[in-house]
Amino acid sequence: MRSAANLTIPGICGMGMCFQIDGFRLVYLGIAVLMWVVSGVFSLEYMAHYEKRNRYYCFFLATFFATVGVFLSADFYTTFIFFEIMSFTSYVWVAFDERRESLRAAETYLAVAVIGGMVMLMGLFLLYDLAGTLRFDELKGAVSGISGASRMRLYGACGLLLFGFGAKAGCFPLHIWLPKAHPVAPAPASALLSGILTKAGVFGIIVVSCGLLRGDLAWGTVIACLGLLTMVLGAVLALFSVNLKRTLACSSVSQIGFILTGIGMSGLLEAAGEKSGLAVRGAFLHMVNHSLFKLVLFLCAAAVFMNLHQLNLNDIRGFGRKKPLLMFCFLMGALGIGGVPLWSGYVSKTLLHESIVEYTTRVASFQALGGSALPESLSRAPKALLWMARITGTAGFWRGAEWVFLVSGGMTVAYMLKLFVALFVDRHPLRQEEFDRMSSSYMRPASKGVLLGAAVLLPLLGMTAHQTMDQLADLGQGFFGQTEKAHAIAYFSPENLKGGLISIGIGALLYVLVVCRWMMGETENEERKSDGRSDHNRCYLERWPSWLDLEELVYRPVIQVALPAVGGAVCSFVDRYVITAPLTAFLAVSAVVCRVMDQMADILIRTARRTTHSQLPAAFLAGSPHDGEGLRDSSAGGKGAGHKGRGSAVMKRQEEIILALVRMKERIQRNGRLVEESFSFGLMLFAIGLCLTLGYLLMVFISQ
Amino acid sequence: MHELGEQAGLLLPVVVPVAAGLAVLMAKGLDHNRRGLLSVVLGTLLFEVGLVAWALAAGGRMVLWRITDSITLTLSVDMVSRLFAALTSGVWLLVGIYSVAYMAHEHKERRFFGFYLIVLGVLIGLDFSGNLITMYVFYELMTLTSLPLVLHEGTKEAVMAGLKYLFYSVAGAFLALFGIFVLMQICGNVDFTPGGVIARMEDGAMLCILQSSIPGHPVREGLFLAALFCMLTGFGAKAGMFPLHGWLPTAHPVAPAPASAVLSGVITKSGVLAILRVIYFVAGPKTLEGTWVQNVWIFLTLITVFMGSMLAYREPVLKKRLAYSTVSQVSYVLFGLSVLEPQAFAGALSHVVFHSLIKNALFLSAGAIIAVTGRTQVKEMRGLGSTMPVLLGCYTVVSLALVGIPPASGFVSKWYLATGALASETGIWTWLGPVVLLVSALLTAGYLLPLTIQGFFPGKDSAKGSREENPSAKKGEAEGAGGWMLGPIGILTAGALLFGCFPGGLMALLHTIGAGVF
Repeated sequence: MRSAANLTIPGICGMGMCFQIDGFRLVYLGIAVLMWVVSGVFSLEYMAHYEKRNRYYCFFLATFFATVGVFLSADFYTTFIFFEIMSFTSYVWVAFDERRESLRAAETYLAVAVIGGMVMLMGLFLLYDLAGTLRFDELKGAVSGISGASRMRLYGACGLLLFGFGAKAGCFPLHIWLPKAHPVAPAPASALLSGILTKAGVFGIIVVSCGLLRGDLAWGTVIACLGLLTMVLGAVLALFSVNLKRTLACSSVSQIGFILTGIGMSGLLEAAGEKSGLAVRGAFLHMVNHSLFKLVLFLCAAAVFMNLHQLNLNDIRGFGRKKPLLMFCFLMGALGIGGVPLWSGYVSKTLLHESIVEYTTRVASFQALGGSALPESLSRAPKALLWMARITGTAGFWRGAEWVFLVSGGMTVAYMLKLFVALFVDRHPLRQEEFDRMSSSYMRPASKGVLLGAAVLLPLLGMTAHQTMDQLADLGQGFFGQTEKAHAIAYFSPENLKGGLISIGIGALLYVLVVCRWMMGETENEERKSDGRSDHNRCYLERWPSWLDLEELVYRPVIQVALPAVGGAVCSFVDRYVITAPLTAFLAVSAVVCRVMDQMADILIRTARRTTHSQLPAAFLAGSPHDGEGLRDSSAGGKGAGHKGRGSAVMKRQEEIILALVRMKERIQRNGRLVEESFSFGLMLFAIGLCLTLGYLLMVFISQ
Repeated sequence: MHELGEQAGLLLPVVVPVAAGLAVLMAKGLDHNRRGLLSVVLGTLLFEVGLVAWALAAGGRMVLWRITDSITLTLSVDMVSRLFAALTSGVWLLVGIYSVAYMAHEHKERRFFGFYLIVLGVLIGLDFSGNLITMYVFYELMTLTSLPLVLHEGTKEAVMAGLKYLFYSVAGAFLALFGIFVLMQICGNVDFTPGGVIARMEDGAMLCILQSSIPGHPVREGLFLAALFCMLTGFGAKAGMFPLHGWLPTAHPVAPAPASAVLSGVITKSGVLAILRVIYFVAGPKTLEGTWVQNVWIFLTLITVFMGSMLAYREPVLKKRLAYSTVSQVSYVLFGLSVLEPQAFAGALSHVVFHSLIKNALFLSAGAIIAVTGRTQVKEMRGLGSTMPVLLGCYTVVSLALVGIPPASGFVSKWYLATGALASETGIWTWLGPVVLLVSALLTAGYLLPLTIQGFFPGKDSAKGSREENPSAKKGEAEGAGGWMLGPIGILTAGALLFGCFPGGLMALLHTIGAGVF
């Protein structure tokens, strides 16, 4: 094992940063530099006509540093820091040209990045709490002793990490950002997004799967199943796509599925006590290969886009005719990713295939012995889980997986064939002459040079597999926890060739049967029909039902509508009424109560005066105004009858005076009576008091 | 007991700004002499920073006023005072500088600056308070003196918001006062002591464990806990903790930007300080551990964290959105205090500093945007990146810091808060707490980043449209915000970023405080 160099910078961001360089990181550092140089050179031409180029280059470099930081990190803390920086700086690429669909795709990208980042952070919290360290080399030892309830917690933490890293890697069901973001980002940036940023996610998954949970059966099964699912789904999406860059993006999803399958198989093989060398080397080499394929393929797409500003296969068909260099480069990429023997993709896919076969035989032999592949720890698991475990423990399941793998490889061939035929074989119904005229000026020499350089690498690696790729794998496998050297594999032995050829056969069949028959049809465009030649020109149809989009169907409604509506409604209610409603009620009730208390004394006094302490005869109190009225009535009735007209004013005045006098008399009488009564009452009280005092004094004297 | 005059210099940082503020309020002549007014204000602020620095270095303790034998007002300086006083005076100076440019748009500057200075003195007094009574006095003074800042605009909404602020604060303070009575029953007007002075006896009564001259009266645990809960809720009103958070979203949008910045960034923190003093310096974390009060407290903080960010996410008016964000973020701090764990404690105090820097920067940016463009709704603020790139850049950096994207500062505090919560023994809250914090962080990204995104990526179609739509936009839009505004924002942003990258010194300080109280 090669010695690894470490660098620890304490104090940064609280926990300090920790870097390491070993074989794997060296290889990926090399690939990162290569990819950034190639796409950087290409960008010079691609970006020449854009505004705000400085913004692009600034974030281009920033993302480079962040990505390198991720790959060099030696603890999850450092990984996370650079991972987040990477997510945010690369956001600018996606949103760069500010078109409506770019902004929408960028929104998706950002949402996935932020949600993934936060979920990952939760995983890190849990992991740190469990293990007390986040350093890759110490984690394995720190978690090995964990069992029981804490073990489930560890799975939880790892699951959260898988969510976070998987979101970046494009693993199902979080692959949604890839098919959206790639077509709208500048093509050199797409090459990097697809070629290396997704690998940063894979990097994290490797650390979890091959470091933390190395040789864990359940975890390996989960990763392998996710890998298989991602692989098929990506391939199907790619096959259906009629957009050049979207196809490549979906293809990335699919290829990441291959890599994940390899990682999962390595875990399964370890769990079964086998050597996992095949799977590990396959996964690693496929990572490297995929980075290079996507670099070449996206740059070819860039060459198309910067000339035509279109990506739909129907619009760009025939562009590659009479452009041998572009055709050569694209062909190298297509053959490589299709897994054609002699190209590098064949080597890695063969290794992955072998690893599945190896595990299948292992499970079969185990079953033949009558044993159950179920580990003891699962015996108390929920029924659904148990059922899953039983299924994945059968050899039949893994034979199926092998076929899934082969069919996915076949679909890869089919969609690359579709792209190749569209670009380089078909003729454009209207603009073919125009396309042909571009043959001399469609790319600058510098761009041609770097593209060719990158493309030539693929067959070179594939043809000298034992000299180059094995060496690379030796360098890289240490990171996966694989230390011993693997035995040399005869890549071109008949059995191995068989697998590759089956895939290619399936691919050709799919192309002929599905793509040519079903996915192409007569054009419905009137213009083209009137052109007269359209009878011969069948176009690529969008056969994927447009409503079947995980993002539009599930994620956006849930996150944008359902969650804010429910959460927001609850919060608004709480915010508005929890304080105000009790407060209002309190104020209302207390106002009534206080008013009552305020007047309590008054009410008591009034009732007392009316009832027990009534000092005037009740009849007089009630009747006195009536008496006054009756008096006036009688005087008015007695005297007013005879003196109508002239004397009436004088009479009225006299009456009023009399009335006033009567009232005054009454008042004086009443007050006098009151005074009398009060005075007598007071006297009486005084007398009683005096008596009491005298009595008291008497008692005091007597007692003395 | 110490005698008056032992460290009489501690009075200076409290008295000088108050005196200067009163002088500014009296001096009618300054109305027509803006230069003079500003030089007095900025001079005082600068001098105050020097005074505070000196006081922090000197430390010590002084008896301010001996009301009765058992009730004394005491100023003293410990590590917590140092942290809060340094933060307060620094932020006050920066926001003061910003106000020079901002308040040029407003009327009655003299009144604003006068009260602005007075509040500073009162806050420093609050930071230096040596016991509960002193703290209570300055706490009430703070409410009353900061009220004119909210009322400044003089509109009907401003007055209503001011009344709401007054009501919530005073109601909270009285709730707290009840608790103070109970605590004083137990241990008298005791000086703040790290780790608290109260312990549970075998018979369940709470008793002062300090060997003091005043013998305490034991109090039943139920009453003690109820008192603590009242204090938490009461002081929580200032910190915007549910259920008394309602004043924040009302008061902030109507106050002038510098006032909302300090209200949100500094004054809410005095609620935190008060709770910190009560729980960690009088009652002691041990007495609270595992009780219903702790559980309810954690629950309330988490509710607030989630509710604040959820409502911010749905809020269209920028300043109100930031106010809700404050509701949520200050409860991050309270959550850190509530789990009673050293790591989380350090995280909480670091979040006090970070949130103060970040939220001030955010409010000042919002103020600058509103002052320059005259727009208040987030969706009207499309395409700002072309006219004021530096401002929006600062806004973006502090937004990311608040979300907790490393290496900016919010991440560090969140890390300590979450790891501390996980290491604590609080049952379900150990993992539910961090989950709520992260969900809230997601929402934070959801409500802060759209402004950045629309600012820098306005989209092809709307880039030109929006500018033509607003022919009335002031001329200043082309020029962007001036240096007087950008300078303080830039410094706050740099602070938010640098503290995140190099938190070593700060965290060491916080860990020493933490080591003292646990």
